[in-house]
Amino acid sequence: MSASRILTVFRKDLKLGPRSPIFLYAVILPVLMTFVVQVAFTSLFEPAPRLGIVDQGGSELAAAAEALDGIAVSHPAGDAELRRLVEANDLDAGLVLPPGFDDDLRAGRQPELRFYIGGESLASTRVILTVTTLDLVRVVEGRAAPVEVVVEDFGGGTLPLSARLVPLIVMYALVMAGVFLTAFAVVDEREKRTLDALIVTPVRLGEVLLAKALLGFVVAVAMALVTLALNDALGGSPAGLLVTVVVAAAMSTALGLVFATAARNTQMLFALIKGTGFLIVGPVIFYLFPEWPQWIARVFPTYWFIDPLYRVALEGAGLGDVWWELLVALALTLAALGAVVALARRMEARLAAE
Amino acid sequence: MSGPAIEVDGVSYAYGDREAVKGISFKVAPGEVLGFLGPNGAGKSTTIKILTGQLPAKSGVARVLGRDVRRDDPEIQRHIGVCFEEKNLYEGMTAEENLKFFASLFGLKGVDTTRLLERVGLADRAKTRVAGFSKGMRQRLMVARALVNQPMVLFLDEPTDGLDPVSSKAIRGLIEEEARRGAAVLLTTHDMWEADELSHRVAFINEGQLYAVDTPESLKLRYGKRSVKVRARVGGEVVEDSVALDAEDTGERLKEAVAAEGLLTIHTEEATLESIFIQMTGRGLD
Repeated sequence: MSASRILTVFRKDLKLGPRSPIFLYAVILPVLMTFVVQVAFTSLFEPAPRLGIVDQGGSELAAAAEALDGIAVSHPAGDAELRRLVEANDLDAGLVLPPGFDDDLRAGRQPELRFYIGGESLASTRVILTVTTLDLVRVVEGRAAPVEVVVEDFGGGTLPLSARLVPLIVMYALVMAGVFLTAFAVVDEREKRTLDALIVTPVRLGEVLLAKALLGFVVAVAMALVTLALNDALGGSPAGLLVTVVVAAAMSTALGLVFATAARNTQMLFALIKGTGFLIVGPVIFYLFPEWPQWIARVFPTYWFIDPLYRVALEGAGLGDVWWELLVALALTLAALGAVVALARRMEARLAAE
Repeated sequence: MSGPAIEVDGVSYAYGDREAVKGISFKVAPGEVLGFLGPNGAGKSTTIKILTGQLPAKSGVARVLGRDVRRDDPEIQRHIGVCFEEKNLYEGMTAEENLKFFASLFGLKGVDTTRLLERVGLADRAKTRVAGFSKGMRQRLMVARALVNQPMVLFLDEPTDGLDPVSSKAIRGLIEEEARRGAAVLLTTHDMWEADELSHRVAFINEGQLYAVDTPESLKLRYGKRSVKVRARVGGEVVEDSVALDAEDTGERLKEAVAAEGLLTIHTEEATLESIFIQMTGRGLD
């Protein structure tokens, strides 16, 4: 084995990659899927409610509003500017805090609070800003809440659907790069007979396979991280996330090599992937249907990398919480590589006989 | 090296029950061009695959540059060049990139790809992607690629197949240059004229068996007729006559033929390689 020859083939593939449709699918589609999910289930195009505050007397309310998450606070120059911005729908609402507002409030003098609402703002935004403002007024006034709010989560403690779709998108990124890109890169060389030209040079078939695997692995790691970042699912443990992504990409790539060495041509590759695709993507369906018996997902080999990834990226788990699953994933990766060795021998014999 | 560059001794190979190569033996010396002639399915490609280390011989010994090709020995691949019949170039890369990529697989840096492309008449297309090349240009680039490591042994599979006369001539010139440089060349071709022109010796293979390995000249002498055919117009009719070259009156008869009025043509009746092949194997080359 020569690392230099492996890197030479890898560099060639990386250079030619952007001209391959599979490479483009592997890079573009996960981003596109994220975009679609964001549009369908979250508020990619809905910025946080925009509140303008004209504070004429250094009110604590303005500072308290600034500290809130999920509301974009700005400070127009004066009342007229605030009105203009709200009317132009550049702000959803505007608040004018007169001088001595806090003192009057605490003294029970009911100061005037002008609250402009943009006619084009969403009803939900208006409600959010109104309720938030009243809540802030009570905080500044120093009064306790008149009621105790008991929150009842109808989601049964599960993450929202947009979060539960993240494993599907990440799995897609891993499968496209690790499985498809790796396998297609090998089968393409075989079909175009360029593989014949490679193996009559000092390059061994094993080196070619490793170069293709390296390509799939690198793109799989990169796209998994990009997809997680785009979905705001980077968890709380960067090291844990990186290790989990690396294991996931390694297992995907090993599966890609199994397909690469088993398929003689593109048609056979697609048939193999179609035939076994459910075994690969099966576990992610269980995240979409939390009421299903979740233990069934463990039957699928890819569960052992996608579940740790889900827990680390979305539930804030650390490496210590998922090490067992990652070990199983590594064991399965080694088993897949064992199969690759046997299949590569068969492939070499077939190549010469073709 | 002093020994043969290629040495094949009793090599056999079978695809399942079908014997593709049946105990063939031959040698190719450095600087020698051996024309490997036979119809499709005769065993030519199988022999090349054995010699390039792609297929393991079932029996017998094959050596390239003194090394047993059965061993997984990159040292052999380092010194061979293979030009496939199929145009297996990287279409998305330029001519220059193809050559540089293959040079780097051999661990070679600073290979003069411009000179190589000049030799095959593609210097002005160095930066053009192969996808835009004609068949002839691809073939010339295939030959250039086979030469990127200055191989000591060249395997050329139908290097001029389907090419225009200018491209064919350029490639034939290259083959001769490589042989002069000292490379052993195993050339498979359907073009008997080309084999005759280029090969120091030719090997006839059919159904996995070698029928003859000899110089074209001695095969022609052995299998051709030692006579000339004279055609002349006599009294408005074309008359043909054959003059044996070994007869006592050969000189007289040739003088008469040349002096006769109405002489049209005089041809030797030397056998062609194709006719000898048919004579030996009972089948043609197509």
